[in-house]
Amino acid sequence: MSSGVGNWPEPLGTILHIAGEKTKMRNILGAFTGKKAGRVFLLPTVIFLLVLTMFPFLFSLSLTFGKVSFIGGLSIHFAGLRNWAKLFQDERFWNALSNTFFIVSIAIPVEYALGLGLAILLNREIKGRAFFRVLFLLPMMLAPIAVGYMWRMLFNLTRGPINHVLLLVGLPGPEWLTSTEVVKYSVILADVWQWTPLMLLILLAGLASIPREFVEAAKVDGASGWQLFRHVVFPLLAPASIAAVLLRTIEGLKIIDKIYIMSGGGPGISSETMTVFGYSLGMRAFDLAYGSTIAFSLFINVLVISLIFFSMTKRFQEVTLE
Amino acid sequence: MLKKIKKGQLIVIMVLCAALLGLAGGQAIGQKRFEGIEITVFTQNPPFIAKPVMMVRADWEKKTGGKVKLITSPWAELYPKMLSSFLLGAKKYDIAIGVAGWLADFASNGFIVPLDQFIAADTELDWLDIMAVYRERISSFAGKIYAIPLDGDNHLFYYRKDAVLNPEYQAKFKAKYGYDLAPPETWDQHRDIAEFFNAWDWDGDGRKEYGVVEPMRLAGQALYTYFSRAAPYVSIPGQAGGLHFDPETMKPLVNSPGHVKALEDWVQAKEFGVPGMINFDSGEVRAVFTVGEGAQAIDWGDIGVMVNTSPESTVKGNVGYSVMPGTTRVWDYKKQEWVDFPEVNHAPFLAAGGWVGMIDANSDHIEAAYDFLSFLGGPVNSYISVTTAQTGFNPCRKSHFEKLAGWYGYGFADPEDYLGAIKATIGHPNVRPDLMIPGTARYFEAVEAELVMALAGKKTPQEALDDAAKKWDEITEDLGREKQLNLYRGSLGLSAK
Repeated sequence: MSSGVGNWPEPLGTILHIAGEKTKMRNILGAFTGKKAGRVFLLPTVIFLLVLTMFPFLFSLSLTFGKVSFIGGLSIHFAGLRNWAKLFQDERFWNALSNTFFIVSIAIPVEYALGLGLAILLNREIKGRAFFRVLFLLPMMLAPIAVGYMWRMLFNLTRGPINHVLLLVGLPGPEWLTSTEVVKYSVILADVWQWTPLMLLILLAGLASIPREFVEAAKVDGASGWQLFRHVVFPLLAPASIAAVLLRTIEGLKIIDKIYIMSGGGPGISSETMTVFGYSLGMRAFDLAYGSTIAFSLFINVLVISLIFFSMTKRFQEVTLE
Repeated sequence: MLKKIKKGQLIVIMVLCAALLGLAGGQAIGQKRFEGIEITVFTQNPPFIAKPVMMVRADWEKKTGGKVKLITSPWAELYPKMLSSFLLGAKKYDIAIGVAGWLADFASNGFIVPLDQFIAADTELDWLDIMAVYRERISSFAGKIYAIPLDGDNHLFYYRKDAVLNPEYQAKFKAKYGYDLAPPETWDQHRDIAEFFNAWDWDGDGRKEYGVVEPMRLAGQALYTYFSRAAPYVSIPGQAGGLHFDPETMKPLVNSPGHVKALEDWVQAKEFGVPGMINFDSGEVRAVFTVGEGAQAIDWGDIGVMVNTSPESTVKGNVGYSVMPGTTRVWDYKKQEWVDFPEVNHAPFLAAGGWVGMIDANSDHIEAAYDFLSFLGGPVNSYISVTTAQTGFNPCRKSHFEKLAGWYGYGFADPEDYLGAIKATIGHPNVRPDLMIPGTARYFEAVEAELVMALAGKKTPQEALDDAAKKWDEITEDLGREKQLNLYRGSLGLSAK
């Protein structure tokens, strides 16, 4: 019985066997050292990402076209566009969508304007600059839930300090969290308080990266303060501004913690946003299919807004460069 | 010789003693029958509900040799986490301590273990000491026992004695409304009292007080208050159903004229509430009533505990307790007409039913898990739990009402009154259990979203409840009408159709 390869005699078989093993080894080593090496090294990461991100993403996407049943264990049946049709007919969805965009469309511009103003101020050589930089960043470091509780207590109608102070100066305190008209502005106020520091941080970094020569040259040419800002600083700050606004817009569309704590989406559903709505249906009522549909509709909105934003940004940069 | 015999006997005795000691030692080790076993208990974040587990686990570990691992979550995450663990067969929790309303979802799918045989063989649990309403109605499903009741849930009515029983205010009240001021028997009287005591300093503490304090926030347990208010308007004594569905057809009854009247009352009560009440959850209601801002409140037994034992309480000894107000007109859903009652119709509501302990059917340690539940919910430890602050457990056993020493030690000024009101509620012939069918969480979310819209003035009570009924019908269709109907009938003690 030969121990070599196939029917070859023993010594030759052994030689061929060794040669075969070497070829296999070369192929394996080649995969790690040749042109394909990059792909091989990337493979574990790609698999990891696919499993951890794409699978849940695709699974929840499939749920939007399904009906989930718990009877006799978890089962999912195809339900076509039923969930999507239900979503578009649901007045609560349109209310949540409108509230989400209302909060984002006011909070983000205010945060940007305040952040920019503070960044310009703190970029100057002023006394106590380091102290103020740390002070202004503090709200951002707090957990949104803690911020929610803090503002809920501040806005308390009978025992909160804000209305107490307003009363002392003879002003009627508004119903911060209990009026359907005012509650969204109260949420915006808390959001601006917490996230203006992020704008400040990014824009401060942006200001620091503007070459001093540009500013000096503009000054030598006799540019006024406004002209310097309008034609030099603001355009050069555009990349940082874009990043800051886009980041905050995406995060703002997903706002949940503060609202959940401050108003619970109320009074009624007057401050219910998409995430609070999705959480209520998906997690409290455990209607997983409908909850996923709500979550995906938010995802589509974020995607569309991001694309529009990128397209507008590109156009803005082209105009500015011209 | 004698000495020898004695010596021989002594040796035999010593050997026998050694053997007996060995046996005894062996038995002692054998008694620690859960040595090396760790059971996982899942419930709400401390202190409420988790605290009793924390209080007794060391004793159980010492007694049995087992270990108890406690995992907790906020209230809103309990149901989804339990359900997902059961659904996936993840065996994450051997014991799930949740509210009775979830039991139907878990039991109907075979997620939890029937406990009849364990209970029958248990000599320490004293099953019959548990009040019948909790023993028979909230821990069973389709004729089998699936849970050990740990807490007795029911809504009580609270009022300020220094307001309602004040002779000066009684005279003024009579002059204004034409009848005697007393703890309200009906919701109409409740409304008048709320209006009378609203927005003025009637207790002389230099601050304004208000007529009523109740939770009205979405996901803040508002819907339980609503059903407590609605129950007497739609519950004819001896007639099954009326509060949630028609047990003949599974048609939702939440938009019946009785319900609409109850919601109209509730919307009106908002006018006499503590400022900001529309955003209150039950935790805030307790805090506000305890510091003396409201004349009347609705809650589980917790307000009673807080006003008597909390260091922040400013109203200890000034709070009265009673069965929830009733009505003199009741909507008969079968005849589709209002029925006038000569006496007040009360229909106390077992809101949420109570916290119960359930065992995962996939658990590897079912016996140990049952033993721990029996230890936790047995007469000794449950008495300690209901008479200790921040456990969240309210009386559910006959013995809880009989031994008053613990209640005085707990800090109660008037335990007889408090326990009397609870006992009268639980033992009321027209007491109404909470909804206990699969999909309860979906039904509740749907109706609560509509209720808060009516409270916020975005819909009329009729519109809100019509929309709620429509959503309930859709959910029933989705889950299977016939199956839901039979399970609903089962939960009311009726035979399947």
